[in-house]
Amino acid sequence: MEELILELKKEIIEVLNLDGMTPEEIDENAALFGDGLGLDSIDALELIVLMEKNYGIKLANAAEGRDIFRSVATMAKYVSEHRTK
Amino acid sequence: MDVYILSSCRITNDRLIADGKEVLTRNCEKGPAWLNTIYRALGIQYPKFFKMDNLAKVGFLAAEVVMHDTEIARDRENYAVVCLNSASSIDDDRAYQQTIASKELFFPSPAVFVYTLANIVTGEIAIRHNIFGESSFYVYENFSALRLYDSIKDVFNNPDMSAVIGGWVNYDEDCDVLMLRACRLSDPEKMLLSENNINNLYK
Repeated sequence: MEELILELKKEIIEVLNLDGMTPEEIDENAALFGDGLGLDSIDALELIVLMEKNYGIKLANAAEGRDIFRSVATMAKYVSEHRTK
Repeated sequence: MDVYILSSCRITNDRLIADGKEVLTRNCEKGPAWLNTIYRALGIQYPKFFKMDNLAKVGFLAAEVVMHDTEIARDRENYAVVCLNSASSIDDDRAYQQTIASKELFFPSPAVFVYTLANIVTGEIAIRHNIFGESSFYVYENFSALRLYDSIKDVFNNPDMSAVIGGWVNYDEDCDVLMLRACRLSDPEKMLLSENNINNLYK
């Protein structure tokens, strides 16, 4: 799981253009939206694309996303349980 | 009615010129790396910059230069943003097209898609500087000082408008920008907004 969390952090930094940020600076348990990384709705859409492109996970239910994208840790848990690639 | 240029910014592939003085010369790759270099050299703290496409970035940077030390809080409804170019949003359009180019790798990027309109740059400038006045974006075949002059001057036909951030903001692999801050005032020490003066600043 540690490896997957690090991988996700790197991917998030890349696809969301979080310039100058390192994986170490992202707390895997901190909120991705709101007070944490301060991501916005377009970022949320990019994370959905990331899940499908890199892990073969299609998120059809928007309400589901709220729990999955709570933090990097919750994303990693969902990816490890549902990935197809 | 005379309109005067309060400040100007020229950005090319190699140089950043503010009010006629060269303030930065490129010593990195051209393109995105150059834009990031300018951002850092100007000491800006605005993380959203890194999410913008190249056109919005270069317009944003030029607006930062012409708005330097300018407080418009009381005047924000009377400020307008007017931009012109020839390449529209082609640079970002190409980037978006790459995300949908093949059936196997069909992953349309929302973050790239939102910049596939040239006038997004006027919105980014207005948000950054709290400008509530009108904004417009025109696409023409090529640069024309006369057209830029007319576009800025037209804004002042509305008696409520007191100032304009406006200019030529073009990005298509090459970076070609002339941004002006113009105001309706009578100040012989400032440069008159004229076709000739715009041409001189664009050189």
